[in-house]
Amino acid sequence: MSDSEGAARAPDDIRRHLLLAVDETEGSRRAVMFVADFFGAYQDLAVTVLSIVAEPPEDLFRTAQARQEWLETQRRSRDALCAGYRAILADGGLGDERVRTRVVVRRVVSLGDAILEEQEQLRCCIVVVGRRKITHHEEFLLGSTSNRILHRASACAVLVVE
Amino acid sequence: MAASAAYTEEMVRGLLARSGASQRPPERIRLIADTTDFFGVESDDVLVLDGTPYLIRNYEREGRFGLDDEPKYWVRRAIDLLDGSTRVLKFEFHEEFETRIGGVSIRRFRSPRKEARILDLVRGQRHFMQGRWALDGAGNNVRILEFIRGRRYDQVAVAAGDDHEDFFHRHFPAVLEDFVGLVRAIKFLHDRGEKHGDIRRDHIICDRDSGVNRWIDFDYDYVHGESLFSFDLQGLGNILIFLAGRGDVLLPELRREQPAVHARLTRDDLSIAFNHRVANLQKVFPYVPDSLNRVLLHFSEGAGLFYDAADQLLEDLAAAQADVTAATGRRT
Repeated sequence: MSDSEGAARAPDDIRRHLLLAVDETEGSRRAVMFVADFFGAYQDLAVTVLSIVAEPPEDLFRTAQARQEWLETQRRSRDALCAGYRAILADGGLGDERVRTRVVVRRVVSLGDAILEEQEQLRCCIVVVGRRKITHHEEFLLGSTSNRILHRASACAVLVVE
Repeated sequence: MAASAAYTEEMVRGLLARSGASQRPPERIRLIADTTDFFGVESDDVLVLDGTPYLIRNYEREGRFGLDDEPKYWVRRAIDLLDGSTRVLKFEFHEEFETRIGGVSIRRFRSPRKEARILDLVRGQRHFMQGRWALDGAGNNVRILEFIRGRRYDQVAVAAGDDHEDFFHRHFPAVLEDFVGLVRAIKFLHDRGEKHGDIRRDHIICDRDSGVNRWIDFDYDYVHGESLFSFDLQGLGNILIFLAGRGDVLLPELRREQPAVHARLTRDDLSIAFNHRVANLQKVFPYVPDSLNRVLLHFSEGAGLFYDAADQLLEDLAAAQADVTAATGRRT
């Protein structure tokens, strides 16, 4: 596991902490805009923009180099994504001093569980995700991250942005 | 020194004679150590892997759903010339493709490394094919599998009984017990972070010697979404629907043979993976207990909740087993 920027909060940081989990989907963009719009005026709020790159099965790549290149490309892409979302949050009133970004590359069994592990580690009291609007069949075969978070979260509020 | 260089043609001829592997010894024996071009590996070639010479025999063939007799050029029957045993050799072969199920595209690929890893993982586990792997002289991962004598599980499992009712009451409890064992085996993989990757009913062989059903073919993998094991689980659901229905209950046949039953079905009653198959079997066979039918409905178009772990399926199957036993009066 690795992170691009930021990790756990400092022990003396008592601000309310919101975890905004994003990827490259339109649902994530809606979630970012919602947070910027709804929470921009809350001065006592810290936001971590989290993007998790799920490592693909190691066997997908013929060589370790091909796999490493893929992961690096993904990381750069997510770094750029988070930077863009940071700008949107800043426009909404959540300035740089209140927003951290964190890109994590790791093996995940469930992306939803991985987000909740981050929530626990970062001690966030709200998790915000966008809904991808997947079909019934997609949910059957691929699973739904937002549903997983809704069902598994136990120590935080969850906002799923439609 | 290449591994094959440890053997001379004369030594191999001696082994051939001793093993009785070939009634008519080939005129010319070609010792090989590189399977990169597996199309160029011919019958009667001798491949040396990890110091063991294997006499190459025929291609294995795909036997399923209209693909009968399609040769799998990378899979060869072989004879271990040291002990005379029959083996199946799988040469390194990569492919990547998409499978569409219920309109959803799943990215899939074949991985020799994954199969090798799982062979190590399931060594000694009765519900899995057994074997080992070795790198050939060019570094290709060749899997050396024990040959399982037996028939496809699906053909054996639903063969008994005069009709569905007879099958369900007299034989299904034992079939369900066997199926639960197969699900537990998949849970063994999942608990260790591995998928089967291609759960289909023709990937289970009923071992004639031991009577045990064994999963085969572990080299497929898929790129998962939120749930690592959903695709494996949908495969288990398809098999369960097949077993409980004593074969696939297909809409066209139902329309033709039981129009009144067909008229009662809605889209929600159909398999979510295969829309021409009925998942809500209780509507066709009213004696199917509620608890079993609820499990089947998890794999139907009308499902509101899906399994994402084998544990959940096993828990529901335990309740279904109890009810099936109560309904039929038979244990196994």
